[in-house]
Amino acid sequence: MDILEQMEYAPAGVAGGYTDRILWIDLSNRKLKIQELPPDFKDRYIGGRGYALKLIWDGTTRETRYDSPENILVMAGGPLCNEPGFPGTGKFIVGTISPLTDTFIDSNIGGHFAPLLKLAGFDALAVTGRSDEDLVVVVDGDAGTVRITAAPVYDEETDKGSLSFGESLLKEVNDDEFSDSVAAVTAGEGARHSRFGIINSLYYDKKRRRIRAKQAGRGGTGTVMRAKGLRGIVVRSGLPRGNGNNAVDREGVRQAGSQLKKVLSTSDSQQLHLSAWGTTVLSEYMDRFHLFPINNFQYGQTEESPKVFAEVFLNRYFSKNTPDGCYYGCNLACAKGAEDVTLEWGPKAGTIVGIDGPEYETVGAVSCMGIFDPQAVIEYNWYCDEYGLDSISAGVTISFFMEAFERGFLTAADVGYPLPFGDIEAANRLLHEMASGHGFGRIAGQGIARGKQWVAANHAARNGHTSEETLIELSKFGMEVKGLEFSMYISKESLAQQGGYGFALKGPQHDEAWLIFIDQVHKELPTFEDKANALRWFPLIRTWFNATGLCKLPWIDVRHPEAANTPEPAKNVPSLNYYVQYLNATTGSNKELQDILNDSERLYMLQKLINLRQGKGTRASDQIPLRAMGPAFFNEYEVRADYYDSWLQERLNGDPAPDSPEQRHQLLIEKRLQAYQQLCDVVYAEKGFTADGVPKRETVEKFGLMDEQAEKLLAEFPCEPNTPSSVEFPETAGIQRES
Amino acid sequence: MVVSIDFFGPQRSLTQTNNIAMPINEETRVTDALIYVKNQYPELPLDERMVLVTVNEEMASLDRLLQADDTVSFLPYICGG
Repeated sequence: MDILEQMEYAPAGVAGGYTDRILWIDLSNRKLKIQELPPDFKDRYIGGRGYALKLIWDGTTRETRYDSPENILVMAGGPLCNEPGFPGTGKFIVGTISPLTDTFIDSNIGGHFAPLLKLAGFDALAVTGRSDEDLVVVVDGDAGTVRITAAPVYDEETDKGSLSFGESLLKEVNDDEFSDSVAAVTAGEGARHSRFGIINSLYYDKKRRRIRAKQAGRGGTGTVMRAKGLRGIVVRSGLPRGNGNNAVDREGVRQAGSQLKKVLSTSDSQQLHLSAWGTTVLSEYMDRFHLFPINNFQYGQTEESPKVFAEVFLNRYFSKNTPDGCYYGCNLACAKGAEDVTLEWGPKAGTIVGIDGPEYETVGAVSCMGIFDPQAVIEYNWYCDEYGLDSISAGVTISFFMEAFERGFLTAADVGYPLPFGDIEAANRLLHEMASGHGFGRIAGQGIARGKQWVAANHAARNGHTSEETLIELSKFGMEVKGLEFSMYISKESLAQQGGYGFALKGPQHDEAWLIFIDQVHKELPTFEDKANALRWFPLIRTWFNATGLCKLPWIDVRHPEAANTPEPAKNVPSLNYYVQYLNATTGSNKELQDILNDSERLYMLQKLINLRQGKGTRASDQIPLRAMGPAFFNEYEVRADYYDSWLQERLNGDPAPDSPEQRHQLLIEKRLQAYQQLCDVVYAEKGFTADGVPKRETVEKFGLMDEQAEKLLAEFPCEPNTPSSVEFPETAGIQRES
Repeated sequence: MVVSIDFFGPQRSLTQTNNIAMPINEETRVTDALIYVKNQYPELPLDERMVLVTVNEEMASLDRLLQADDTVSFLPYICGG
């Protein structure tokens, strides 16, 4: 590879989980720099998402867009990343200004990249600038060099792909052999042509003897990478992984890890069976409780769903009895995969490939298009990974256009072909067009928020309506908030999850607050106060996982047997205590659970400030589509009329419900809209925000975030005297008990 | 009188059936259904501390009385990825 810039360095050793160094890569000027972090940096920003937030807050402005040279693409693990003695420690965060939301996006991703980066001497890397020529960066901890090179050219098909390019790259930098001492991140052709490009994290799986991939899927991080002219980053370290964090108390780490591993090994097999079935096991449970997205979230259950339940993938595709952790030491090992799958559709038809996935979200993205063919699911999974497209945003966006087509807002002439729900050929065609930037794919690849505008303008021109009128209709079922497409859960029957999606700072992704089952099925959040508490607590603990380099699943998806004896079993505090023990043993801190929640809240508030600066931080930006609150159209009401009528009757305080179903539907919508606004009020009060969703000065000051930029920003949002602290929890039983 | 006990994914894989019928009387409770399943399928892991019991898709306690044609499920706790 043609070396354009090289820096030699002495890799910093890891101590207590940190190297205290960030590698800066300036692609415009092809310059490399190492930043030594001051001692208090890690105390305030922890790592991972926290580091990304601080760099973005300081280094970008409200004018920064995803393709601005000053935008920073941050990749950071955290102090607890890279410890095979503890489950789920291969995670890192990609953080940047998103092409979909124009504000901060963070997407977590597994694999070996961040552990190797840490062993190579860096807690994080930060990429700035733009290059007209495609580049690759190689961080070689063994050689003590960082190189910026011209991106190698293989062949046209390989160069288009994220997976295939990455495989070739990993071989090239390692004398034509794969090794688990080398890992890479890459972005593909789809990331060049759409706003929801992903970053693949590629690592060598010695058991499967092939390169495997995990994805930073949400918010277009791969699009940012390609906009910078960056094809891939390779990192190498041959240092041993055991005690890779050089823990202060190695025995404490061992004890904490062994206790959590024991919970996973004894309890997962009595609960979700993630280690054997992967996350596809969720599909059936979601379908049972009307949460499985079908035909653009219109319905939550269908007789066709069993065609894509987990057993189908388990029996037909997944390799069985293969430990599938995405990093060493994880005995939850949920990263299922399939070998030797022959593709049947698309430009690679006839090719035999290994496939990582599908995960539940990808299955849901395909059912959202009304498609229930498992081969279509698994091929969609592979093509999205190879093209470098987010399977969630791509699927939800296609689903939106399918519904727009079926409701007459979009024509076959607009698309170039009919686009009804369930049409595999049409869905595939649009996917390939999005990846290549051809045909209607150029429009669809912009995502729903921009797609709505396009459809509204064209429909209005054809029909003599105003664009605004059409946009109101499209916004009822265009499933996006802040510009990000919804992840794959129907929130119509859980007010708490409506908030989980609406208040999520990055947009409606479930990893900030997934409260559906706790609220809708467990009935553990009956009041507005309960919901507000959960909508504060869960985002904080989940943010902490993203700041430390940890996977959340071993905590949240395997309940500790002792959790049943705690006041709030859903918080699974007995397992969380192992995490606190692991933190203290690694870093030498002496923290309790509340301390880490407080640390996390600083990051949460910093992200809120960035949102505010980027125009996505007020109440208006937390509003969700009507379909996320309830049945946007009558057909959705009809299929769950018994449930909706019962819900409505409970809120009428003895008054009779209207006679006609159409009137009941209308009244239901009014009540749902009211409930969501009440939820906004109580949640903002709980979080220390004004009624407009803006952090109060004292909230920002409490976390030491009132720097000059924050001062100026908050001055733009003066508090109205009667709103900041006047919001109290509704007291009347009929209001307080939401469900 | 009977109730249906439904099996999902991994449970169905082990029991090889979507559901079984269980005879009940006026005093049969959810806990009796749990014992019934354990007896029918001793190899099926069902620790009451780790399962969410639903009757007709609503969460239920172990001492809830069952009625004819109820549908009982023993689900894992699901808290999201």
